[in-house]
Amino acid sequence: MMLRGYRSGDARLLSGPWTAGELLGLPVNGRPALVEDAAVEPPRDAAVELCIAPGVAFVRFSELDWTARRARLEIGIQPQAIDAVAMLLKTAVAHGFHVLNLHRLYGWVTPAADPPLAVLGDAGFQREASVPAGNWLDGAAVQRQIWGAVRRG
Amino acid sequence: MVETTLTDATLTDTTLTNAASASAVESTCTDIRRLDPAAAAAHLRAAAEAGRGFLGLDPVTQNDALLAAELARMQAQVFRAGDMLLGSVPNPDQPRQAFIAATSADPEPLRILLGFLDTRQRCNSFVAMVPDGAACAAAFASCGFRQVGVLRDHRYQSGAYQDVIVYHAESGFFASADSEVPCSA
Repeated sequence: MMLRGYRSGDARLLSGPWTAGELLGLPVNGRPALVEDAAVEPPRDAAVELCIAPGVAFVRFSELDWTARRARLEIGIQPQAIDAVAMLLKTAVAHGFHVLNLHRLYGWVTPAADPPLAVLGDAGFQREASVPAGNWLDGAAVQRQIWGAVRRG
Repeated sequence: MVETTLTDATLTDTTLTNAASASAVESTCTDIRRLDPAAAAAHLRAAAEAGRGFLGLDPVTQNDALLAAELARMQAQVFRAGDMLLGSVPNPDQPRQAFIAATSADPEPLRILLGFLDTRQRCNSFVAMVPDGAACAAAFASCGFRQVGVLRDHRYQSGAYQDVIVYHAESGFFASADSEVPCSA
């Protein structure tokens, strides 16, 4: 699997039935039909690196800090491609570390949305913080965690 | 550049009277003023080392225009209390939560800001991300924040990566005699 830069023809990949702002945006079970899809904006400047896994997902490196060489990672996977989540996450980490030459990647994870935590661990992420009431889900404030991966060597 | 007085939460007494702040650094501020992004960037630059890591920014490596643009992008509110800067950024995914920053160990201006956010902007949950070893950690501890995590190698300063400590507090833990009475959520 390869990532490439965003093109205007990829716009349909930028929205989907996942929880907004998640490190690993996957379709949420039992999501009410009236809930608007989560979406990210097309890039307007160099402040965000927006990549595409063609037909599968967007991979967004935001809050870029080129001094600390870190970025927040957000991924949105289309419902028909959820089997590719493990490979996609490893591809995103490799892209961040070896293409963008970043030292640290981090993202927000909402346990109540039932993300595949083992996949995060396999890709090198560790849970670093648990923030009470960090997200709003199904009518209540729920805990949100920060998971991070640090490049070694 | 514009400064406006935060009249809803103005310190009128420089003497700390509540037990929670008895061991804290004596407050030297008499009021808190809101800064627009350009003024906030200038004050951050003047704060030098104390401003590094403020709301994830770094006035040593980022120029004023970039600082102001980032503050505007984040919808940050920045305030000045004497030499101390205070900041607040809303959590876009949880409207009752705000990210908080401070540049000194004085807890009283921070307590006033938290009271203002609680009573005027309906925030009931607060998160602070503080560089490991930063003086302002004492202010957050005095205001009832507790550590909820460590972000590894989150910053780069003085030739080495540094951790960032994550703190959290809920409304009701920071009230003092001088601040507004927090409302129940």
